[in-house]
Amino acid sequence: MKRHNIRGLVLPLLLLGAWEYASRQDAAGAYAFVPLAQVGSAWVELLGSGELLINLWASLVRTCTGLAVGIVGGIGLGALMALSAPANRLIAPLFHALRQVPMLGWIPLIALWLGNGESAKLLIVSLAALYPMVLNTFESLRQVEGQHREAARVLMLSRAQQLRLILLPAALPGIAAGVLQALAFAWVTSVGSELFLSSGAGLGSLMMTAEAGARMEIIVVCVLCIGLCGYLMSWLCTLLSRRLLRWRPTR
Amino acid sequence: MRLLSPLSWLISPAALFALWAVLANAGLFPANLLVPPLEVWHSFTDLLATGELQEHLSGSLSRLALGFVGGALGGLAFGTALALSNTVEAYCAPLFHTLRQVPSIALIPMFVLLFGVDETFKIVIVAKTAFFPVALATCEGVRAIPRSHFEVAAVYRLRWTTLVGRIALPAAVPAIVTGVRVALTRAWVVLVACELLAADSGLGQMIEMGRQMLRIDVVMVGVVITGVIGFTLDFALRRVERRLSGWQSH
Repeated sequence: MKRHNIRGLVLPLLLLGAWEYASRQDAAGAYAFVPLAQVGSAWVELLGSGELLINLWASLVRTCTGLAVGIVGGIGLGALMALSAPANRLIAPLFHALRQVPMLGWIPLIALWLGNGESAKLLIVSLAALYPMVLNTFESLRQVEGQHREAARVLMLSRAQQLRLILLPAALPGIAAGVLQALAFAWVTSVGSELFLSSGAGLGSLMMTAEAGARMEIIVVCVLCIGLCGYLMSWLCTLLSRRLLRWRPTR
Repeated sequence: MRLLSPLSWLISPAALFALWAVLANAGLFPANLLVPPLEVWHSFTDLLATGELQEHLSGSLSRLALGFVGGALGGLAFGTALALSNTVEAYCAPLFHTLRQVPSIALIPMFVLLFGVDETFKIVIVAKTAFFPVALATCEGVRAIPRSHFEVAAVYRLRWTTLVGRIALPAAVPAIVTGVRVALTRAWVVLVACELLAADSGLGQMIEMGRQMLRIDVVMVGVVITGVIGFTLDFALRRVERRLSGWQSH
């Protein structure tokens, strides 16, 4: 097992070595491949000045707000579509047609309508989170087993009771999977929207400023941050959903 | 029951269109923020007639094809190697799974600095976007091949190339096609994003120019075409997927 771990480190170290080597070749190399020490000092600098934390915080808050809006709206819309055939008939075609346009493709249009401030970004992030939530809620409510539905009918539960006591609990694992997807989409879209509408704080805006100034070390720090945060958030989300869904009997 | 007729699917899109037309013609909003549907249609036919649209489309699609084929072939080869060889797995898997976490969009500024704003950067980023889902799906698809297939291959003393080409790939193909489909739609999104940020041609650049010149009709044409192309790519590969996995599911 020990040997296994060491072998996994060979390639990353080689790549880092090659990066460092390229940075020492000439001025052009140092421009694109900044020396590793400089990346390290950029970490310290960005952390020390609070710049990284402010921007990271702005991105995280936007992601979470958008995610919350997307989750609430998505569960509502998905449940409405799953439970009412007429609503499904009316909403589904429009929903699936609009879903085809890539999230980032909406940005220019939304920017024209809402400007490039916070509301435009929040709308984009919320939409990005909404799609997977609607799809997952719809599918998992549809797939609730017949037995459960029959039990609900035998007990003569009202529609609201059916939803609260039978359908939603049965659909929760599917919905939780949707939240995990929505989280990933919201995070990527949040950073992406900041790249395009780079006013205000956010990791994407920080990267765009760094790109304009050719500060590769800041970009590297941001990319590392984005990857790490995305990973941590989905790990946290998985952990949380596993804990909250503990009561479910595993078959 | 009338609602259940097939035509009812058209109600909401038609209603949206009608609302759009009424609102735009009522003049509630400034004309540069909301153009009537008819005007969007006119600018679409104009763009077609001048050949501008075809030019942008061919630019975008050739980039997509070039980057995607490169990335997908690389992913195919790497995924197979990762699944079949313990050595490759030991050396590459940790790096692979780490890099997989970084979203392509976040890499755009970095790649711009590394490769400049020319073609190379877009093709590399499309290839990168295609590589990871295909490699992952290939790896999982190949891993899911029953061991007995390999045992039979060993009994017949098949050469390594035959093993991969005739046994491993066909059995893993449905999973791989799913990976390819996901990769293709993602690659398309990322490409349009790249073109929005930095390009001199392509669908994304057309949208961005439209935005800067406040030509919302051009932006809308671009957005709709982006959606239609994304849908067509996804739909076509879904058909392939269904056909290829038909023999598996009973």
